[in-house]
Amino acid sequence: MTLETIWLMIILAAPLAASLVLVLLRDRLKYAAGWIAGLSAALSLGGALALLPALYRGQIPVLGLRWVPAAHIRLVLHVDWLTFPFLITETGVTLVAVVYAWGYHHPDENTPYFYALLLLFALGMSGTTLADDMFLFYIFWELMLLASCALIAVWGDGERRGAVALKYFIFTHMGSLLVLVGLLVLYDATGSDSFSVLREGVTLAPGLVTLVTTLFLIGFSVKMAVFPVHLWLPDAHTVAPMPVTIMLAAAMLSMGTYGILRFPLSIFSIEQMAPFAVPMMIAGVVSEIYGALMALAEEDIKRIIAYSSVSQMGYILFGLGTLNHDGIAGATLHVVYHATVKALLFMCAGLVIRATGRRRIDKLGGLGRALPLVAVCTGVGALAIAGSPPFSIFNSEWMIFAGGFHTAHIGLSILTLLGSLLTVAYALWFVGRIFFGNRPEGLTVGSLPWAMMAPTVLLTALTFIEGIYPAPVFNWVTHELALILGGI
Amino acid sequence: MSGNIQVILPLASLTGGAFILYLIARLVTGRNELLAFFTALVFAVALGTLLPLFAMTGPEQASAPTWGYLESGGALTGAFLRPDPGGLIVAGVALGLGILVALYSGRYLALDHRYRLYYPLLLLLVAGSMGMLMAADLFNLYMFCELMSVAAYVLVAFRRRTDTSIEAGFKYLIMGSVGTVIMLLGISFIYRETGTLALPAPSSTGGTLGTWTRAGLACLLVGLSVKSAIVPLHTWLPDAQNRAPSSIAAMLSGVIDQSALYVLIKIALGLGWSGYRLGTWLILFSFLNMTLGNLLALVQTYTKRLLGYSTIAQIGYIMLSMGVGLRYQSREAIQAALFLLIAHAAMKGLAFLSKGVCHFYCGTSTVYELRGTAVQAPLVAATFSIALAGLAGVPPLAGFASKWFVVGGILQAADTFSYVVLTVFLLNSLIALGYYLPLIGTLFMRETSRDLPRIRVSPWMTVPLVIMGAMVLAIGLYPEMLLGWTTDVAPYLLMLGG
Repeated sequence: MTLETIWLMIILAAPLAASLVLVLLRDRLKYAAGWIAGLSAALSLGGALALLPALYRGQIPVLGLRWVPAAHIRLVLHVDWLTFPFLITETGVTLVAVVYAWGYHHPDENTPYFYALLLLFALGMSGTTLADDMFLFYIFWELMLLASCALIAVWGDGERRGAVALKYFIFTHMGSLLVLVGLLVLYDATGSDSFSVLREGVTLAPGLVTLVTTLFLIGFSVKMAVFPVHLWLPDAHTVAPMPVTIMLAAAMLSMGTYGILRFPLSIFSIEQMAPFAVPMMIAGVVSEIYGALMALAEEDIKRIIAYSSVSQMGYILFGLGTLNHDGIAGATLHVVYHATVKALLFMCAGLVIRATGRRRIDKLGGLGRALPLVAVCTGVGALAIAGSPPFSIFNSEWMIFAGGFHTAHIGLSILTLLGSLLTVAYALWFVGRIFFGNRPEGLTVGSLPWAMMAPTVLLTALTFIEGIYPAPVFNWVTHELALILGGI
Repeated sequence: MSGNIQVILPLASLTGGAFILYLIARLVTGRNELLAFFTALVFAVALGTLLPLFAMTGPEQASAPTWGYLESGGALTGAFLRPDPGGLIVAGVALGLGILVALYSGRYLALDHRYRLYYPLLLLLVAGSMGMLMAADLFNLYMFCELMSVAAYVLVAFRRRTDTSIEAGFKYLIMGSVGTVIMLLGISFIYRETGTLALPAPSSTGGTLGTWTRAGLACLLVGLSVKSAIVPLHTWLPDAQNRAPSSIAAMLSGVIDQSALYVLIKIALGLGWSGYRLGTWLILFSFLNMTLGNLLALVQTYTKRLLGYSTIAQIGYIMLSMGVGLRYQSREAIQAALFLLIAHAAMKGLAFLSKGVCHFYCGTSTVYELRGTAVQAPLVAATFSIALAGLAGVPPLAGFASKWFVVGGILQAADTFSYVVLTVFLLNSLIALGYYLPLIGTLFMRETSRDLPRIRVSPWMTVPLVIMGAMVLAIGLYPEMLLGWTTDVAPYLLMLGG
């Protein structure tokens, strides 16, 4: 067992062990729960980073065990370049979300359960990215759903939280079932459930290729919340407690992208995928414009950012649909950058809600003077999501558009470009309406805990750094594309 | 009477145990806990004597151990018991469930009294089901089926002071007896034409069926459909499960339905239906079972009634997978059906027993009243949730592993009809979320208007619950062992179906 294998296990073992400890010793850990969760999230992130040198050396850390030999099911975890950007995003987001929760969540007797579920949610996501076989992949995939659903159902805001959680579960489970069928068709064709075997090539009848790709694209689109299968997202994001919303929006949505990259794109050749390019691009554009328009129309500040996710996932799907180097690289970069910016924006919204107790945008205004730091952070987040330099998303959007213009579908690319104007509109309106103008009467501003401020400032800095120094992430993504497109 | 003594041992220990237990209850002690313990012991002994049979029974029926009538020459003529691999699994499940239900009753029955009837009847119920599964001729099959049914009628109506349980028991009695009478009629038709009651019929393979045999088989299938709650003959089941004691409701779905379903398959194949034909019919009826069960479960107010409709749906899943296996000669699908059958017995049993705890301590019967269970009895809420999540097919529980194998089995068929089957199956498993999840949510709902005291649940109840919960988890995480047990069933059934 090498050092890499141990780090690989730590990524999963840390949240699993911490959640078990939290549940078993719940009575004694009311106040320490947050710290334990933070520690295990940091360990996970550390484990993920520790694998980086091995990846640069060209190794693929693997942990493999026999599980159900009768059905050719194994238990294999591995990290390759396709996994890595997603793994880093997810573990990083978990850490900031847990730290943010220290300030957001008031300790009570159920606090250990709250953090335990947050960690299980994180475990589901890292397991999904690390799994190298289908059975395990699907188990983690559903764990992610279960844990987040429980968090919404128990700690959500408002009376409708049960109904919202049910809607969220049924919607995304429907997507999962399509993915399950797709996986099993592949399993049936190859007789093995290993992703590594799949990557070496699957011979399927052309009709079956179409079927499997369709199943995967629709199934993963549900998780990405692309129009018209986004319906679960605005409600779930709005009702969920803020740390959960951050993890949902910044980390979980990217799992859909991971799925599309992992299954149809890296298993089938670009020629086999070609018929799906235009539908993916169209769905991307529609989602982008629809999400931005809905964001303009909403009044609840959490819902505005939630719809912004629908819009941003549109960019990603568009980028994947171009099926060329620039587009796919841009889409993956966008996953990492969007995670940073979306987490930042939700944190800012959470700070505003905490400080004022209001969440309708027409009841807010003129807070710039009272909350200058929050105003700056929100401003950076809004500029970044609008795609303005020098912030991170500028780079990824640039590459997505470049990918679009490399294809034969210039019209769609121009539409995407125009659609991004709407993003600018809602982003600037969001900042302007909350922080500038006159302060409404009766709007008081309370104090903000450092645990909520610190991660917000950190992410603001990160947005800036990612924008001016994109080399590391870009480097990872290039390695990943070599896996998918075959050495460009 | 002669043959391999080991074949008769499990049955003898159950029936003998029932007799001795009744005497003990009459003459020695009336204490519920002791009787429950003895009953569990009898079940355990029966299970212990059943286990060696697994090793002796393979897919080849010619070499299977038998017990039967001895002719003057010394050769066995008509075998009266001949275990087959699938029947042994179903019987093993029944005995395992019996052990846990008996232990559970050690506390659960405290309010009902009349222990001396309950425990012997419980043993006879399982004895009937086991005899039916092992019977090698139609007459004995009929006798054992009646034994199982009569015990079940009494146990369903066990709470005789409430009108509703008498009503449910009566309804079950009427429907069940009509079913068995029709079976008897069918058996007489078959005897009239073929002059033999052996199962599988000696002339069945290859030849065309005579008119009387066909009519007789139809009667047998209808009768067994009542027992296994196949739509549209399912109407007794939700009522019976709602009004029977929870322990008996667990036996209804884990033992009676499932063993009747397996026997139905065995008879139809043994009397000359081809696997293709039976498979197609099973699939078509499974559509009804799944859809109706799931849709009606959505609108239920009473928890146990909801679970009853869920049983109907789950029987539909088993029929579907079995049907696909027989129609397309897919070993994987048949194994998946057996796997699902075992998993369902554990999960549904766990659900009913958990619900029974709530009823025992708090008198809850509707879904709405279950609010706050997580505060009152966290362990019960946890096991109940595991059972429900497992039934909904959530990973990593037993239901998920079975869903994985069932879908895998259907996909192997790969023709248009199988895609229709797959779509119906997946839509149904989606509909099912609509009642399993809110039920889990209800358990964890915080109750502010009532002051809820913490309940100390008796270990007689917690031990079976924890064991079953661990089993549901273990089956899901490590399906290897169960899959290994079911390997012999598929070749046996496929050979029987030609």
